Amino acid sequence: MFKQWIPTSLLLITLCLLLMPLAGFSDYLIRLLAIIFLWVGKASCWNILSGMTGHIDFGAVGYYGIGSYTTALLMSKADVPFFFAILVSGLVSSLIALPIGLPTLRLKGAYFGIATLAFAEAMKQIVLEFDKTAGVRFFEGPHGITLPIGPRNEFFYYVGFGVMVVVMATAYGVRRSKLGYALRAIREAEQAAELAGVDTLRAKVKAYMISAFFLGLIGGIETYWLTYITPHMVFDVLITIQMVVMSLLGGMGTVFGPVMGASFLTILYEVLHRDFPYTYTILVGFIIVVVVLLMPKGIVGTLRKR
Amino acid sequence: MKESKVDTPILEGRSLTKYFGVLAAVHGVTFSVGKGEVLGMIGPNGAGKSTLFNILMGVYAPDEGEVVFRGRTISGLSPHKICRMGMAKTSQIVQPFKEMTALENVMVGGLHGKNLSLRDATQEAEKILEFVGLGAMKKAVSASITIPDRRRLELARALATGAEVILLDENMAGLNPTEVENGLRLLTEVRNQGKTLVVVEHIMRAVMEISDRILVLNYGEKIAEGTPDEIAHHQKVIEAYLGEKYASDR
Repeated sequence: MFKQWIPTSLLLITLCLLLMPLAGFSDYLIRLLAIIFLWVGKASCWNILSGMTGHIDFGAVGYYGIGSYTTALLMSKADVPFFFAILVSGLVSSLIALPIGLPTLRLKGAYFGIATLAFAEAMKQIVLEFDKTAGVRFFEGPHGITLPIGPRNEFFYYVGFGVMVVVMATAYGVRRSKLGYALRAIREAEQAAELAGVDTLRAKVKAYMISAFFLGLIGGIETYWLTYITPHMVFDVLITIQMVVMSLLGGMGTVFGPVMGASFLTILYEVLHRDFPYTYTILVGFIIVVVVLLMPKGIVGTLRKR
Repeated sequence: MKESKVDTPILEGRSLTKYFGVLAAVHGVTFSVGKGEVLGMIGPNGAGKSTLFNILMGVYAPDEGEVVFRGRTISGLSPHKICRMGMAKTSQIVQPFKEMTALENVMVGGLHGKNLSLRDATQEAEKILEFVGLGAMKKAVSASITIPDRRRLELARALATGAEVILLDENMAGLNPTEVENGLRLLTEVRNQGKTLVVVEHIMRAVMEISDRILVLNYGEKIAEGTPDEIAHHQKVIEAYLGEKYASDR
């Protein structure tokens, strides 16, 4: 019934969002929206692999961090222009995802989760300790890297918006492609998928590399925005957990789930943090539990059922 | 005539053995299936029938022996490769892709088993669903489909892969007599398309009716092989599986 209105309303929302920075809204709001866009992007990346295949990736931040460091190194040490640097960051993340994905994506359930978590933690340790161990100055260890000062928030608003749209379009395209059928079949019954001719490992590795590419890209964008990164910041396991929670809240495996989840959670954090600065995490946790109990399929998944 | 079919086997198992720990689930089983033939496989629970199927499909690698499909050794290959070569299996415990519609379930077989484009896979899946009698259900999410229909859906998915040899692992388990009748009719139609079938089944009437030859497994070993009539009167088979009553009733 509402289906015919979806393209029109999407177009309208896009137009509104594109014009927003020009309409004189506060810098705070622009910043908040940009943060939401980038979270939607990250949660969507996580959703492309984990939401569609059911393999819960606890190491997604690894690729975000790799992208962050690639951009930081390229921009601070080689004066590479921003857009080129983030593209390389995406490629580097995606290439690293290949040798990591090939062995880990054979694992099932919790074992995959543990292996990916270990990967992300290992990446953090490598970046932290590499310089001391090798006796060089490259990653700068715990001191972190400072980047050239970036442009204003509007710039990141548009870049974030663009990336969000591209990631969502990719998720949409993947879902409707042959690969999407393979991934969904894997989620429902992996062995049956394999018996029906699906090269399950290859399909998963493809999705993993796509996901890693965009995570690396977004890592690069946020790094330039922050202008200063340390391993503890960009390899923080909490970033992965946010992606997981946002996707779960919004609806695993759906294209618009991460949009809902990321917007809801980011705004919830903002509002509660303002009013309850000391207890807001408890409140957020409580609300998440309630939402998950009431909507086990996530916001989008539950709305769709009705 | 039945002998001549075996002269050009499409699928062969050569002294297949698979251990689970110290237990030989399948031990030294040799058999062959001719093109267009229907081979029945019977035996008590735990006789190794499903394990043998899993070896044939590449789910397990055999500890000894080899599987030869169209003259090529396929043991050691992964299931999707074997599927793409032209062999598919339906599972004893039905495994539909639950959140996907019946049509999408069958499309997966066409898209990946047969490497069709999305459009071709859709058309073909619609035809196959019509053929197995699920045409009206194509938009139904497979989690909402009844068990007998899910069994048909499994068969449809296997057909969609374009397989020439289809292994049916208790595709009629849990069906009532009318449904078994319909199931047999469907399998006969599949067979008339020139497909080769290997059928594991506990419903004796069904196996006896559809099979050209029957192979009997007990404790992982082949204890008999022959036409349905020979098997029904085979002393070892009666002792291990059928029971005296079945033989005397026949």
